[in-house]
Amino acid sequence: MKNLFTNLSLNKKLALFVFVLGFLALFAGSPYKGTELKVDASEMAMIVQKEVDHVASDELAGWIVQGKADYRLLDLRNEKDFGEYHIPTAENMQLTMLKEAQLGRNEKIVLYSDGGIHSAQAWFLLKAEGYKGVYILRGGLEEWKDNILFPRLADNAPPSEVAAFEKAKLLSKFFGGTPQTGGAAEAATPKMALPKLESPAGAQPKAAAGKKKKEGC
Amino acid sequence: MSPLSKGTSLGLTEVRTEAKAAREPQPYWNPYLAGLGLGLVLLAAFVIMGRGLGASGAFSSLVAVGVDAVAPAHANANDFYAEYIGDGTKSPLKDWLVFEVLGVFVGGFVSGLFANRVTKVVERGPNISSAGRLTFAFIGGGLMGIGAKLARGCTSGQALTGGALFNVGSWAFMMMVFGGAYAAAYFVRRQWQ
Amino acid sequence: MNAPFFKYGLFGDDVSLVIAFIIGIGFGFFLERAGFGSSKKLAAQFYFTDLTVFKVMFTGIITAMVGVYYLSVIGFVDLSLIYLTPTFLLPQVVGGVILGVGFVVGGYCPGTSCVAASTGRIDGMVYLLGVIFGIFVFGEAFPLVSNFYVSTPMGQITLPQISGLPYGLLVFLVVLMALGGFAGAEWVEKKMAAKKAEA
Repeated sequence: MKNLFTNLSLNKKLALFVFVLGFLALFAGSPYKGTELKVDASEMAMIVQKEVDHVASDELAGWIVQGKADYRLLDLRNEKDFGEYHIPTAENMQLTMLKEAQLGRNEKIVLYSDGGIHSAQAWFLLKAEGYKGVYILRGGLEEWKDNILFPRLADNAPPSEVAAFEKAKLLSKFFGGTPQTGGAAEAATPKMALPKLESPAGAQPKAAAGKKKKEGC
Repeated sequence: MSPLSKGTSLGLTEVRTEAKAAREPQPYWNPYLAGLGLGLVLLAAFVIMGRGLGASGAFSSLVAVGVDAVAPAHANANDFYAEYIGDGTKSPLKDWLVFEVLGVFVGGFVSGLFANRVTKVVERGPNISSAGRLTFAFIGGGLMGIGAKLARGCTSGQALTGGALFNVGSWAFMMMVFGGAYAAAYFVRRQWQ
Repeated sequence: MNAPFFKYGLFGDDVSLVIAFIIGIGFGFFLERAGFGSSKKLAAQFYFTDLTVFKVMFTGIITAMVGVYYLSVIGFVDLSLIYLTPTFLLPQVVGGVILGVGFVVGGYCPGTSCVAASTGRIDGMVYLLGVIFGIFVFGEAFPLVSNFYVSTPMGQITLPQISGLPYGLLVFLVVLMALGGFAGAEWVEKKMAAKKAEA
């Protein structure tokens, strides 16, 4: 038997080898195992409890101001809402488009929606598929509006808050928002007009275009 | 003839024959081994880069850069060129395919050098002139350029890469390439036979 | 799962260009080893006298196909991250026919013409000029053909997806087909050589 094998020419040996591999492929299963969701429950629970992958709105605002380019900010809402206003440097991406976007596994991805529901759901989908750098903007667009665009200083605020408010005012102006003063601390925020999108939002289309890598032939 | 001169002339002929043999083109590799090597290179591209090989795309970048240099307004208004020119943040020649194709030139040359197959020649059949062959080469290249752009690739990118990945369009393309070539072969047989 | 390495961020764009160059060297090297720097050898495929093109192309395809399949099955490679050119059926079919004609008329394809040019073939160099001219013609005519160019889109789709057959089964079938093709090619070449010897 062994003699039979060694007497085969090189070509026949190669052919036999590849035939065996091809035959075994009938039983080896699907190559797409990676797209089945595998969740390590305890690890997930700990991550959620520790809130390690939350990004606070002022943290994100700081990145934008500094012009950092090492993250991708994804706005999960529909096109219309995105067009009305979106956080500068954000890209519009519906949940179903996430796969097509070819996001890097280790890329820093920050998700936001109006509140936290869609971003939390998208976070789970991405984490389960093995993306390592997924973060949620804490409080979503609502908190962004409250903290960054329209920071409020109540009448009877302590001095520490007054000092902090000075910084918040500068940040708000940068993003085209309107700082608010007056009224009781718990008063509801009136419906404010959202800033029109100009620079630094102008920086965003360039960044998005640059990200599109050409991989054709 | 004196014995001395006879011995000398024989020795020189032997030396010349040996030297000529060393410069003769080596036989080609076993095609299956060459194919195996090619497949492994393609596999390396899959594993390292998450993409396959290509060739025509590099020349598209070249053409786009050329048109952009001569008539930038026209180039940027044209969707086809604009895609290769990009948004100006980086040179269109700093492209993966461009560097890969440069490597192809080098790799081909190195292999040819080791096999003594680097020679200035116009490859052609016995029944056609060099000028005729070169004319056909240019026309064939032109057709290839158009076909490759329509199909989003050529045999390296679509047939090899797409073939290995079971890409539907690539398999359809591959069958059509063989079909078209066999169909046209009869009409240009004088070029080769 | 940590491959494709580039998609996992193991290195950046600049390193990827160096890798492109090295991979290209390998590509060009094996093309020339097979003899594809010669248009006579390439064209002979379409006259059935030398079927090296078929043998090399399909050996390459099944090597990479089987390789990427098994690497994905064991979980080393994430197959879904490997780029798949979107299918546009009609333009690709028409482009394929045109390309096939160009192949046998010109005697090369873009990749092999680079190898030919770098090993001194003048017809290879002229062919490359032709390719550049053809792309230019296409670019100029693009506004007229752009509707056709994007017709019949099918997205990124594979044969397993469209047929519903298991991936592994298709791997086996393609391997079988290729091996059968190789046996057939050897037989055809022998017959053609015998015919030539008779003549």
